[in-house]
Amino acid sequence: MQDNHPDRELVDAVLANRAGAFARLVQEYQGLCWHIIQRMVRNPEDARELCQDTFLRVHQCLHQYRYESALKSWIGRIAWTIALRHLQHKSIPLLAATDNADDDALVENIGDGFDLEAACADAEMARHLHAAMEALPPLQRALLTLYYLDETPIPQIALITGIASGTIKSHLFRARLRLRSVLEAHTGVAA
Amino acid sequence: MTEPGDDHVAPFDDPAHEREWLVQERAMQRERLRLDPAGDDARSQRYRLLARVLREPSAHALPVDFAQQMAARVACAPARHTTAEASFERGLTWMLGALLTVAAAVVMMIYGSTWLPSFAAVARSLDAANSRWLLALAGCLGASWLFGRSQRHHSGH
Repeated sequence: MQDNHPDRELVDAVLANRAGAFARLVQEYQGLCWHIIQRMVRNPEDARELCQDTFLRVHQCLHQYRYESALKSWIGRIAWTIALRHLQHKSIPLLAATDNADDDALVENIGDGFDLEAACADAEMARHLHAAMEALPPLQRALLTLYYLDETPIPQIALITGIASGTIKSHLFRARLRLRSVLEAHTGVAA
Repeated sequence: MTEPGDDHVAPFDDPAHEREWLVQERAMQRERLRLDPAGDDARSQRYRLLARVLREPSAHALPVDFAQQMAARVACAPARHTTAEASFERGLTWMLGALLTVAAAVVMMIYGSTWLPSFAAVARSLDAANSRWLLALAGCLGASWLFGRSQRHHSGH
């Protein structure tokens, strides 16, 4: 246990039941938990309920936090486990069986001219991309969200999910490749 | 080339995949820093568009007062939990204590006549030197008990 751990002050305040401390902790990490859970389970009502379960569990188990990882990873891990259990309960696979055979073709495809700003203004393209993201398996959706929206580095994602860093890198790589191919299909570039 | 987010992550075995990964990473970083896309090739610009879309928050969100709701919820819940748990533990301790006392009384009634005289004989045979050692042992036990008590008092328990 480290005395100078950056999360110590907040954890000690919550454990001592200081006024406003738990609300501060929830405020700090509710975004992370929401992103993990919402991207995995998708249904907003279920996601809200699971977020509540997550913070109730955090409150019950905070005395077991040993400062071996950042508080963010510890709380993220609880959210991940709760979302995972929900998916298992609903028999939703975390990762659909995918065919990686055409990854090489996608990598080799250089693509044609592309105007980023014009593409951003293209509402139909944005719709296509969002639909493609929703079609990704829950695991890849959650990993992309953690990596892009929360700017969580791969080693920390590994702590949250319990998945090896190399496997996370591979999922991120393939998910981005798939989404790029959706973009190219929309803009008329043959793979 | 070292990219942020790559720390401790091994490169792909396939060099073409690793090159593509680095393009993806560089595009993500350039988009994060909002650098001018004019110099980026088509592939990078597509990855930058992905980064832009992936960084958009979801249309659904938690209620604005979610943290306050959670704080209010746990403010009542643990008290009830602790009280119930404590009264259960207290009841269990009393029950075990009573059981132990009854068991000790029964054992004393059945076997007491055999070993009580031996204890009395040992007590009679204690000379002055043995008594000093026993007093020293009792002193040590008392001192460590007092030390433990003062430690608990300082830590607020």
